[in-house]
Amino acid sequence: MSDTAATLTQDRQKLEMAALSAPAVIFTVAMIAFPVIYTVWLGFQTFSSTGKQSFAGLANYSKLISDYEFWHGLWITIALFVLSLVLQLVFGVWLALVLFHAKRLPGIVRSLFISPFMMPPVVAGMMWLVILDPSLGAANYILQLFGLPPSDWLASPIWVIPTVALIDSWQWTPYVALIVLGGLQSLPPSVYEAAQIDGASPFKTFQRITLPLLLPTIVTAAILRSVDLLRFFDIIYITTQGGPGNASNTLNIYGFRVGFEFFNIGYASALMLTLTAIVFGAVLAFNRLRGAVAW
Amino acid sequence: MTDAANTDRWIRWLNTVQLVIAGVLIMAPTVWMVLSSFKPSFEVTAYPPTLIFSPTLDNYVELTRTTPFLSYALNSLIVTVGSTALGLLFGIPAAFAVSWTRISWPAILTLAARMAPGTLFLLPWYVMFRQVGMIGSYTALILSHAVITLPIVIWVLLPSFDGIPRSVFEAAQVDGCSVTRILWRIALPLVASGVAVSAILAFVFSWNYFLFALVLSNGDTKTLIAAAFNFIGEGSTQWGALMAAATLIALPPLVLAALVQRWLVSGLTLGAVKG
Repeated sequence: MSDTAATLTQDRQKLEMAALSAPAVIFTVAMIAFPVIYTVWLGFQTFSSTGKQSFAGLANYSKLISDYEFWHGLWITIALFVLSLVLQLVFGVWLALVLFHAKRLPGIVRSLFISPFMMPPVVAGMMWLVILDPSLGAANYILQLFGLPPSDWLASPIWVIPTVALIDSWQWTPYVALIVLGGLQSLPPSVYEAAQIDGASPFKTFQRITLPLLLPTIVTAAILRSVDLLRFFDIIYITTQGGPGNASNTLNIYGFRVGFEFFNIGYASALMLTLTAIVFGAVLAFNRLRGAVAW
Repeated sequence: MTDAANTDRWIRWLNTVQLVIAGVLIMAPTVWMVLSSFKPSFEVTAYPPTLIFSPTLDNYVELTRTTPFLSYALNSLIVTVGSTALGLLFGIPAAFAVSWTRISWPAILTLAARMAPGTLFLLPWYVMFRQVGMIGSYTALILSHAVITLPIVIWVLLPSFDGIPRSVFEAAQVDGCSVTRILWRIALPLVASGVAVSAILAFVFSWNYFLFALVLSNGDTKTLIAAAFNFIGEGSTQWGALMAAATLIALPPLVLAALVQRWLVSGLTLGAVKG
């Protein structure tokens, strides 16, 4: 084959490759890239009650700084994020260790373990709404059996965030566990054998050897969960819509309500762009952490 | 020696106990939901809660009688199948091109939807779709849900395409096959199981997705998930019907997920973890 013919086929190949990714790229630009740019523009607009829009400069952002609901929403978002993440990582690692030592895991058991995070979060919300009902729910009955005082759960301004964190952790702890289990299974068995020969206790082995080797996997699980936790929506919207009062009004819920209940699209855009910046910031921070614990 | 064997047995027993506790905690709420859906109406709200009862289908009958459950289900099916098909149509060629050329930005671009809050897209979509009168249309719902399915298809298929030896393609190229032909005739049959997994995951996540249909659907196109509010409204006194609705909505994703449970976790992490 001559040189010109070779470059000709190469050029044709490049063109064909571009044509193959074109539909996905065009779709993503049309449905994501362009709308996000449009949101940036909307963030500089103000919408009157009649739906008329006009340029407002940075008014939405200066409003955000002095908006009590924004800071409250940020606090709720971070509280829910930290609480859920800690619960899911701690119990996820525990569950992974239990599953790892069970050796043989039949498919049916695996299916049962994935069932919480494969069901729609909305269904999880409906289900827990009934279980956690303050007067007739099964949860309070079980508390009573153990002589514990009943709780108002989702109806309590103080307990609503821990309760939502508990529901989300019920859903996603098995997911974290299966990721960590994958990490455990890929560790070289030789490190355990060496520790055993040295006479290290199981706890010491875990603390000094297993945990440090698992850290990159755990951080990966943390990244995947953080992205969902910082934009928490479904379970709260189906159970409390941000209530009681504003006790579970996370930034995502607040932004949604500003946009689609009060139709203040401009201010909602400013809120959502801020939340997006927070999510990307958290991912970047975790990525650095993953680099630091890599081995 | 017997001491060590004893400790060993003790540890194994302790592990089994923990496994059972975890299993009960994970399964109990779902089992409770399904049980409640079969309880006679007076027993659903019985206090103390009852475990033994004579099962009935009344709640399911009540559900289909008092709500347009079946037409919501049909809407869910249309939106989910449509967006899964669109995700596969756009995602398969894109994943192949990314795997072949190692130019990964098209794949990374689609990941933005996995990270940004959905409301960020929903606000401009709402304004845009309203201008062209598409709010409430199946097209708007399918397009919005394809934003969920496309990254799933691309990222689940990437490792599958990467796993095909290059020599297979090079041989086909020497024979004068065009790239498109290589994809459809040679590569695709080799990654058929990957395509199945990606289709099922895309289906599950599109089916489960709440936010977009909440705003972009109307009374005629409302999906099951977006209609959940209606069931809660109905169910304030009718827990049985509410739990019947919850059980039916959760059934398709749970059955499908059980089929692919082995490949599910590596697929869900979008390539971040090889499980």
